[in-house]
Amino acid sequence: MSGTAPLPAIMIAGLDKFYGGFHALKHIDLEVRRGEKIVVCGPSGSGKSTLIRCINRLEPHDSGRIVVNGIDVNDASSNIQDVRREVGMVFQSFNLFPHLTILENCMLAPRLALGMKKAEAERLAQRFLDRVHIGEQAAKFPAQLSGGQQQRVAIARALCMEPRIMLFDEPTSSLDPEMIKEVLEVMEELADDGMTMICVTHEMGFARRVASRCVFMDQGEIVEIAEAAAFFEAPRSDRLRAFLSQILH
Amino acid sequence: MPFDPSLAWDSLPRMLFGLANTVGITALTLVLGLAMAIPVTLARMSPRRIFRLPAAWFVMFFRGTPALILMYLVYYGLAQLPSIHDGPLWPIFANAFACAVIGLALNHASYLVEILRGGLEAVPAGLVEASAALGISPRQTYQWVRLPLAMRYALKAYQNEVIGFTKGTAVVGVITVVDLTATANEVFERTYDPVTPMLTAAVLYWCLINLMRIGFEFADRRLNRHLAAEEQRRRKPVAASLQPALARWTGLAAPNTERAL
Ligand SMILES: Nc1ncnc2c1ncn2[C@@H]1O[C@H](COP(=O)(O)OP(=O)(O)OP(=O)(O)O)[C@@H](O)[C@H]1O
Ligand SMILES: [Mg+2]
Repeated sequence: MSGTAPLPAIMIAGLDKFYGGFHALKHIDLEVRRGEKIVVCGPSGSGKSTLIRCINRLEPHDSGRIVVNGIDVNDASSNIQDVRREVGMVFQSFNLFPHLTILENCMLAPRLALGMKKAEAERLAQRFLDRVHIGEQAAKFPAQLSGGQQQRVAIARALCMEPRIMLFDEPTSSLDPEMIKEVLEVMEELADDGMTMICVTHEMGFARRVASRCVFMDQGEIVEIAEAAAFFEAPRSDRLRAFLSQILH
Repeated sequence: MPFDPSLAWDSLPRMLFGLANTVGITALTLVLGLAMAIPVTLARMSPRRIFRLPAAWFVMFFRGTPALILMYLVYYGLAQLPSIHDGPLWPIFANAFACAVIGLALNHASYLVEILRGGLEAVPAGLVEASAALGISPRQTYQWVRLPLAMRYALKAYQNEVIGFTKGTAVVGVITVVDLTATANEVFERTYDPVTPMLTAAVLYWCLINLMRIGFEFADRRLNRHLAAEEQRRRKPVAASLQPALARWTGLAAPNTERAL
């Protein structure tokens, strides 16, 4: 990297992660530029979730470096808080706080982590709920919404912290088919606005439309990285070819 | 065995005094038990053995011992120790009412620890992670996510425990505290009428217990608004008309088989 190149959004170098004796991530190198959209795919157990959970330190890594917008992801709790302020995350199982209304779900982090006033947090939350097209449901509780609606709230909740990077861990995998589209549309709008994104997903249509690059993982390794067209049209490794033929039937 | 209304009426002031004692013991036990249970629960869930083990012993010992035995030990047993008898706390341990509260509270707290722990452990890890990922500190996550949810999960078990031990306070008579049961017993010994005082006491207990149940139901409705709302959405019209009756029935029939009194 030359001195004039802008700081990468995420720099991962020589990353290793063990669960006990199990080598879950094997020497991962990955650099994500600002505004890039990365789609990560691979078979179950290949380490996709582990990789993105290391980025915001939901999992501590064992060796190697992760730098997010210039902040070293390490043991220092102040660094962890800083990184989590830069990085929003959306989970497969939504994980909305069930005892809080939709609006309160979105207000909690701005109020607690940023010390925002109630009225201001309310305005902010309403703005992002409107942005994911669910503003009129603000007073409801999560259990009153459909899965697709809940996931859009989860996206709004993360956006309320105004992160510069968004991580998605299979955001549509637990949704009924008719709800997948509404969530993907919100994610595409986000991509169009220039958000830096890492999405673990097997939605290949989304990957083709949105991804700057696709990453294929298998058994804790990054096997192949390529631009979307090349990734699908001309996979180089046998493992990716086998994987693609499986998920595209 | 006829019920004697005039005896019931005449003894009512004394019975109400006994009831007041029962209520006082219950209320103090609730407060003291909770005050003991919170630090013990935190210790019980600590990753460090020096905290975890003593807390586990506390629960094991006081849960496995009948409250009656605990009260005997606190009231009669501790008085045998010179360090207690001559110590600054003697006014407390010489007082039967205070000893009753301490004995009951130790037993109550040991149950409460397990109830609180169950509630905290029932909070899905994903919610705690989501909170952490939003940049909310572990302490604030505990205060705003884990604890409020644990309270909701634990409420039913807590209600059963509280109502169970309220009825269990009837044993305090053995260390000379004149509660509702002891008062009824006094009236019986004075009049040789076994029916009237006991029935009167039963009615008063029933009123107390149901007042508490109504209180719990109110708390449940408030805390679990988010679930009620969902139920409303899912419930079918027929089931809707059955639901309140069913809730009332299960509320009354809430089993309390686990207590060892
Ligand atoms: N907390 C944990 N303790 C032990 N092993 C774990 C833990 N979390 C994940 N693993 C293991 O690490 C490997 C990678 O898991 P990971 O969840 O990252 O896979 P994934 O690619 O996200 O799979 P999926 O598509 O099923 O979500 C798996 O073999 C899994 O069993
Ligand atoms: Mg996964």
